[in-house]
Amino acid sequence: MGLLSIIRKIKRKEKEMRILMVGLDNSGKTTIVLKINGEDTSVISPTLGFNIKTITYQKYTLNIWDVGGQKTIRSYWRNYFEQTDGLVWVVDSSDLRRLDDCKLELDNLLKEERLSGASLLILANKQDIKGALTPEEIAKVLNLEAMDKSRHWQIVGCSAYTGEGLLEGFDWLVQDIASRIYMLD
Amino acid sequence: MEDETEKQKQKKHSAMLERLSKRGQTRSTNPESSAESTSSFFSRFSTLKTSIESQLDQSQSFSSDPTNLKLHFQSISQSISDLEKLVAENSYLLPSYDVRTSLKTVSDLKNSLENLTNQLIPKRKFSFKNKPTKKDDKDTAIPQPKQPSQLSTLDTRLAVRESPGFRNKVGEVLVARFRGSEVGEFAVSDLDSCEVRILGSVRALFVHRLKNSRVSVGPVTGSVLIEEAEGCVFVLASHQIRIHAARKCDFYLRVRSRPIIEDCNGVRFAPYCLSYRGIEEDLRGAGLDTETGNWENVDDFRWLRAVQSPNWLVLPESERVGIVDLSNLKNGDEEI
Ligand SMILES: Nc1nc2c(ncn2[C@@H]2O[C@H](COP(=O)(O)OP(=O)(O)OP(=O)(O)O)[C@@H](O)[C@H]2O)c(=O)[nH]1
Ligand SMILES: [Mg+2]
Repeated sequence: MGLLSIIRKIKRKEKEMRILMVGLDNSGKTTIVLKINGEDTSVISPTLGFNIKTITYQKYTLNIWDVGGQKTIRSYWRNYFEQTDGLVWVVDSSDLRRLDDCKLELDNLLKEERLSGASLLILANKQDIKGALTPEEIAKVLNLEAMDKSRHWQIVGCSAYTGEGLLEGFDWLVQDIASRIYMLD
Repeated sequence: MEDETEKQKQKKHSAMLERLSKRGQTRSTNPESSAESTSSFFSRFSTLKTSIESQLDQSQSFSSDPTNLKLHFQSISQSISDLEKLVAENSYLLPSYDVRTSLKTVSDLKNSLENLTNQLIPKRKFSFKNKPTKKDDKDTAIPQPKQPSQLSTLDTRLAVRESPGFRNKVGEVLVARFRGSEVGEFAVSDLDSCEVRILGSVRALFVHRLKNSRVSVGPVTGSVLIEEAEGCVFVLASHQIRIHAARKCDFYLRVRSRPIIEDCNGVRFAPYCLSYRGIEEDLRGAGLDTETGNWENVDDFRWLRAVQSPNWLVLPESERVGIVDLSNLKNGDEEI
């Protein structure tokens, strides 16, 4: 029995999913995780290392890894790739100037062999801000259509501020992962 | 139909939030003092670390037995994940320096494991992804996720849209008033020797490439991002402030969370000191009416050690500017 199938088997029993949240600093990752978890989002400092939240979502247990996006610590992202079922890429839709950076980092991430099987949810966050790009525009800038055909992906507009769109995004992600990993149940 | 699913979603969502907030409560009533749990964290951490290291050392002895070697590596990998999880769970209580060093340990262990794996297990020629069998069983059982079809019909022109802001000016006074109006993001970029005054609040402020300028702004309800500034003075109130690549700048801040700097030097910090008619009301509206003292809790992402970073300091009181009062702005200043 190969390594991957052993891991799958363990996970299947516990109905666990490992979700990795990444994106540039200031995109709203920590705010999103706390919002989903129903916690206070009024005082959040930029993330120095990472946080982990275990959340029960439908019948699944999500282990959400929220990793800091400041330039200095982006090199640590690779430490979290192993066994990732779902990748959430968070974009600050109001930060027009750094969209190039955002595209570059995403492209690098998607080259990662260890993430090749992960479902990809792109959250176009901060939709509540006037002047923010729409999810369609973000998709265009990030050139998502050109993505490898084998990748399961979805882009959803959201606001961690109002909570809008978060559920839609995570519903898709969890369903997509479940249909790959737990389909034998 | 549409309505029905929407309702169901809403219901699901609120049920989830309720459940989750209850979980949060039970956790936070846990009567563990943080000093106690910090020391128990360190003892558990070092026990786990030692055991992983000795497991790593034993790897050579499996080298002639590939099946067991794989299992051995797998178990080490699991232990490292456990260790990492332990750090993560404690990352809220631990001082940031300890979080960093613990993370470094985890990362080093992962590297050792990776090196040993590469050394002892010969690489396969083909990556897993290329195996046709995997694709097949995927295709038979799973409906493909729907691709967002509206994207293909989107017109190709994505205008190089710009947010409202002040850009490319030399030696000017630039004034914006947002009192009582709803404003999103605001950008201030490529200014030399300018004076920028923003009255009222904005949701997000982006500052880029400023030289010898002064920037005073009312409360920002979201975050401020500053990149590349030299010889400037900033007076800012915001929920979050990130400063990248600033040199020789002074910051008068009120922040709800810890301000952070990255790739900065010669930056100095002091408390917020802005005044204009109605600022109290604006500050209250933004939840920034009380001093948090965070203006001096600066985290330097380029400085990993526990001792004070050499890149920033508290601005000596004798050198502070006093109150910056924008109440009596002359007409004729450039306004938007
Ligand atoms: N208006 C608005 N502001 C948001 C939204 N989401 C996050 N923010 C703000 O954006 C700032 C950054 O949020 P964080 O959650 O700290 O961002 P992060 O991605 O975790 O950043 P790092 O930890 O540095 O990687 C905060 O000031 C949030 O209040 C949103 O949907 N709308
Ligand atoms: Mg964060």
